[in-house]
Amino acid sequence: MTQISRRDFLKLTRNGILYLSGLLATGGLLRFLSYAPTAEQKTEFDLGSADQYPLGSRTSIPEIPALLIHAESGFTALSLTCTHLGCTLEPNETGFACPCHNSAFDSDGNVTHGPAVKPLQVLRIEITDDRNIKVFTA
Amino acid sequence: MQTKPSTFHFLLFIISGLLLVTLSLVWWNSSRHPAPIPLTPTLSGETEYCITCHADLPEISASHPVETFGCVSCHGGERLALNADLAHSAMRGGANPSDLSVVETSCGGSNCHSGSEADDRHHIQRVTTSVQSTYAGAISNILFTFGAQPDLTARFGIAAVTDENTKTGITSLQAFDPVSANHPSIQKFGEECLTCHLHAEPREGEAFARETGCAACHSTETHTLTTAISYTQCNACHNRGNYDLRTMTFIERTDHATTRLQDYYQPIAQFTQCEYTLDCVDCHTRSEVMGDGDIHNDQASIEYVQCKTCHGTLDELPRTKKLTDPNDIAFTLAFLNPVVELKLGDTILVTEKGEPLWNTRVLPDGTYEMIGKATKQYFTFNPVMGSACEQKPDEQESHYCHECHAVEK
Repeated sequence: MTQISRRDFLKLTRNGILYLSGLLATGGLLRFLSYAPTAEQKTEFDLGSADQYPLGSRTSIPEIPALLIHAESGFTALSLTCTHLGCTLEPNETGFACPCHNSAFDSDGNVTHGPAVKPLQVLRIEITDDRNIKVFTA
Repeated sequence: MQTKPSTFHFLLFIISGLLLVTLSLVWWNSSRHPAPIPLTPTLSGETEYCITCHADLPEISASHPVETFGCVSCHGGERLALNADLAHSAMRGGANPSDLSVVETSCGGSNCHSGSEADDRHHIQRVTTSVQSTYAGAISNILFTFGAQPDLTARFGIAAVTDENTKTGITSLQAFDPVSANHPSIQKFGEECLTCHLHAEPREGEAFARETGCAACHSTETHTLTTAISYTQCNACHNRGNYDLRTMTFIERTDHATTRLQDYYQPIAQFTQCEYTLDCVDCHTRSEVMGDGDIHNDQASIEYVQCKTCHGTLDELPRTKKLTDPNDIAFTLAFLNPVVELKLGDTILVTEKGEPLWNTRVLPDGTYEMIGKATKQYFTFNPVMGSACEQKPDEQESHYCHECHAVEK
């Protein structure tokens, strides 16, 4: 069995600690630099093939939340976030109602009852070459 | 001077060791914190980690869903901190962000509770000028009684308030400072009797943390806001005991009532069946309780609902109103406390000032129905007109009704 001298043992230990702490410090630094406290908000939503949404359909997309409307004039995406304070709207017979503060909107997104004063936001839509629908919230 | 290689290596060894220990301690410390659970409320769009520890709290109200409001927009605090002390260090109002000292930041804003009078959204202004908040009547009574002011006109409130658009003629109240009073009873009043009002410093202790501001009335259970306010919530302040005006002290009640009637403690008061069966908010209106935006001299000048408001008099039926405007405030109030489904065309009772008693309706047979705002119980009642009431037509105020209809305890 090879004998290791006291000097070599100390050197080995010192280098070991040095490398280990260097490794940990680098890891910590990388973690610090890559730390993203604010979860990234998704702003682009792929709704799949446009063929899934026949002419005349009004499809609720809870993930956004939005309503995808397919009319003669094309596709429209209406945000279902209340323009008063941001609650998610619920559809009713006349359009949409806010379960938080009773704002109401007609089926085109115009305010019919306050406290909201602004109409619903119309979201940007892109239809890709392979006829996929993408909706953008920002 | 050059460092010897052996000294250099020794220093390197020590520094590496210290770095290793430090990094280990940092890792150990960070591993003690829970993995953060992010929430990005739509109102602020800023991620917060509060629900990492507070996911067990109930939704505060249907009007304030956590996905929309989060926690920080009302409570303040360090939104990304995982250490409890740090996270709570910047909270507004401690356990009560609605304390009137911070309410404007927590609950205010033109879209929330400090909007315009025209939109009926000036809730904070109404509360801060209300008698429940100023305690103006009691203060002026004490000052007048002990010779510190010449009449009973309100000049002071618990905090200074102003009302530039006054309809009562009182444009402002100064902050009452009992310490500078020259009568010991006024000083004692200041020490003993100013802790119960909405603008007061809350008494010490967790149990009293939510007895000021909006929470005093609207927070009936832990982390809950409601407009279905039970009489027990009102009694937490209004039925807690009595003042002894000889010693200027508050005497907490010590009895243990077993019935609702006995629970009404005020020994000289008389009660009719309505008053010990219904909840206070079933009859008393928003403007009486929360204020109407004006500074009032005392409780008597803002409280106006009487028996005749709902029952009418011998000569007159109570006032009613057919709901024809979808924006009528009655619909908003019924939406916030959905004990009754109001519809356009319904006829409800209204007070002498036109405030809707939205939890009532006129039945086809000419009688009336009230739905308890907190109990959801249905009560039917009759008008005085056409009844066997023998009271004089010009003596129809509540205290005359009590002469025959009060219940003995």
